Amino acid sequence: MNPKNLLCSLENMESMLNSFSFEELSTAEASHLKRSFQAFKNDLEQKVFGEPGSVAVKVKKESTNGNSKGNLGPSPNMLIAKVSHEIRTPLNGIVGFTDLLKEDGLTSKQLEKVNAIQSASYSLLEIINELLEYSKLSTGLEDFDTIDFNFQNVIKEVTYLCKTLITDKKVTLETEIDPDIPGILVGDPSKLSQILLNLLGNAIKFVEKGSIRLRIAVKQKVKHQIRLEFAIADTGIGIPESKLPNIFNAFEQATDSTFLKYGGSGLGLSIVKQLIENLGGDISVSSTLGVGTTFKFDIPYGLGNGKKAGQAQEPKIKKEKVRQSIKGMRILVFEDNLLNQRLIEERLKSWGCTTFITENARYGLDILEKTGLDAILMDLRMPEMDGFEVTRQIRQNKDATIREIPIIALTADFSLGDKNKCKEYGINDCILKPYNPDELMFTLLKNRGKNMELTEALKKTVVNRNQHSKRLDLAPILKDCMGDVDLLQELIQLYKQNALEFIGSAKTHIRYGDFEELGLAAHKIKAGLAMMQSHELHAIIVQIQEACKTQGDVKKLQSLYSCFVDEYSKTELNIDQAFLEIKRKGK
Amino acid sequence: MIAGKKLLLAEDDNLLASLLRYRLEKGGYEVSLSKDGKEVKEYLAEEIPDIIVSDIMMPYFSGMELIDFVRNELGSKTPIIIISSAGNEENVLTAFELGANDFISKPVSPSELMVRVNRELNNAKI
Repeated sequence: MNPKNLLCSLENMESMLNSFSFEELSTAEASHLKRSFQAFKNDLEQKVFGEPGSVAVKVKKESTNGNSKGNLGPSPNMLIAKVSHEIRTPLNGIVGFTDLLKEDGLTSKQLEKVNAIQSASYSLLEIINELLEYSKLSTGLEDFDTIDFNFQNVIKEVTYLCKTLITDKKVTLETEIDPDIPGILVGDPSKLSQILLNLLGNAIKFVEKGSIRLRIAVKQKVKHQIRLEFAIADTGIGIPESKLPNIFNAFEQATDSTFLKYGGSGLGLSIVKQLIENLGGDISVSSTLGVGTTFKFDIPYGLGNGKKAGQAQEPKIKKEKVRQSIKGMRILVFEDNLLNQRLIEERLKSWGCTTFITENARYGLDILEKTGLDAILMDLRMPEMDGFEVTRQIRQNKDATIREIPIIALTADFSLGDKNKCKEYGINDCILKPYNPDELMFTLLKNRGKNMELTEALKKTVVNRNQHSKRLDLAPILKDCMGDVDLLQELIQLYKQNALEFIGSAKTHIRYGDFEELGLAAHKIKAGLAMMQSHELHAIIVQIQEACKTQGDVKKLQSLYSCFVDEYSKTELNIDQAFLEIKRKGK
Repeated sequence: MIAGKKLLLAEDDNLLASLLRYRLEKGGYEVSLSKDGKEVKEYLAEEIPDIIVSDIMMPYFSGMELIDFVRNELGSKTPIIIISSAGNEENVLTAFELGANDFISKPVSPSELMVRVNRELNNAKI
């Protein structure tokens, strides 16, 4: 069970416990129960996160306490997040400078060596990314895109990349794509290429001689939706039958010697499985030792607007355009690492941007007052004043042109709270180091001239909360129940259960910024609320759904959530009263 | 005639599902309930019911996919009634194009559903 699910069920239990009726237990018994549950919950949270509540606190504590905790030790996810920061920062420098070096016009021999450095750095980066990805997926923090993309191009790119991996082996890579697949699909192209690269990469690793076939077929097509089936069949060493059931588990490799011979983190397949499942698909594997292995998976996609597939060179033209449009931007960079300072300066200069670089927050704020700027790149971890604090001060400036400057965070710090924290502080975008130059370029363009939306907490009240809740009328629903009071009672029970479940899980989803799950939970409860005439609660749920769609303003969601909780306790009371009345009448 | 007719009810909302199931069972149907697409598929692998009532939005397998699956994969003409959320007119059109027989909007009145189910079964017989 992953920590998120665990927390979710804990919250569930807790909210049920809080609503526990004192009539059934004596007050002393009930409060004893609540206390011991609280203690149990804290204990469990501590084991999962090391510290109840705040994650950030926990990281600090780990570094001072070391492994002094004798129990379960630090959660692997947190350890990964922490270590990855330390590794990503220097890697950012290495990858970035080799990039710059290659643009300097090297001799072919020099280029060869630089390429070697780069490919080694990239494989290191890949391992770090896999670890990060794994911990993100297992904490439910992964984001999924829904965008129009050129399907053929994604497959072309992937197969091209894979062919470069095959080099000296006697292996062929064949693809067979169903011609009925439309050019433009809607979904997450980067996740698809990640899945394919991983599976094809595995196949290439384990096939000494023979063929790898990628076959893509339409499994099902329904008006606006298409389900594609991918099959990757190789003639590799195969997987022993006894190992097949565990193949998608983390850190699992067929044999211990597999790692020695082929390397890898052992996380690839479990990442692939989680990705596919999160995309709404399923994966299966079949294999015969010495004959080969076939992975099959399906993923649903939306259908695009029928535009013909564009050509592969399109991105290049676009990139040139982007470069033109960010030329001349005036950018202030807060960065304390000398290597990274020089890297970003070179990079921005080569794009024709004017840069101001400082590690000193006061000095930076001073520049800001005196010079007209277009954007700020902000390292979040700095000595003295950190990036969040600097942002806060900028967002409070009297001058609107300063207050509304786009701020893009550059950070090597993957930690659970950061993404939401960024939004809360008014940071417009966040780039994880090491980043590739294109990512930075596109982010700068995206934020050029964008006015900061003031994300204030919800001001207008969601529902008119002063209005006293009207007496609830259960008569229509009793009619739907054909006058069966027992059924009505059962429905009310379900209704309460659903609401409490929502209250429990929504809290966790908001804490983790998991808007998609929150949206789903809201959808699930909506029809029942309408059915039970709970119009106020229904109105709040509609707003929660809206906020989830726009990838949410956390503060707004929190406020809607507490509205819901407040309103629910009133509604519950009303329903109980109304039900008692019906029962009395019935007698 | 209705007694013992098999009805598959695919609905992920447990509240609505209990209410509808109760009404339909009172009306003499033998109701099987599936909470999501996986259960629907498992059920349909075993047998094809006399009539299907399905929500459009369901986990794993949407109502649309269900219609398509029944009509094209299973090649069955068993009547399908779709439960749609308000303001989803476009979805209803798509559902009809795919081969749905009727639809009913949320909030669903159990008695209305009952009438529609009876009517579809009568139509199917003719």
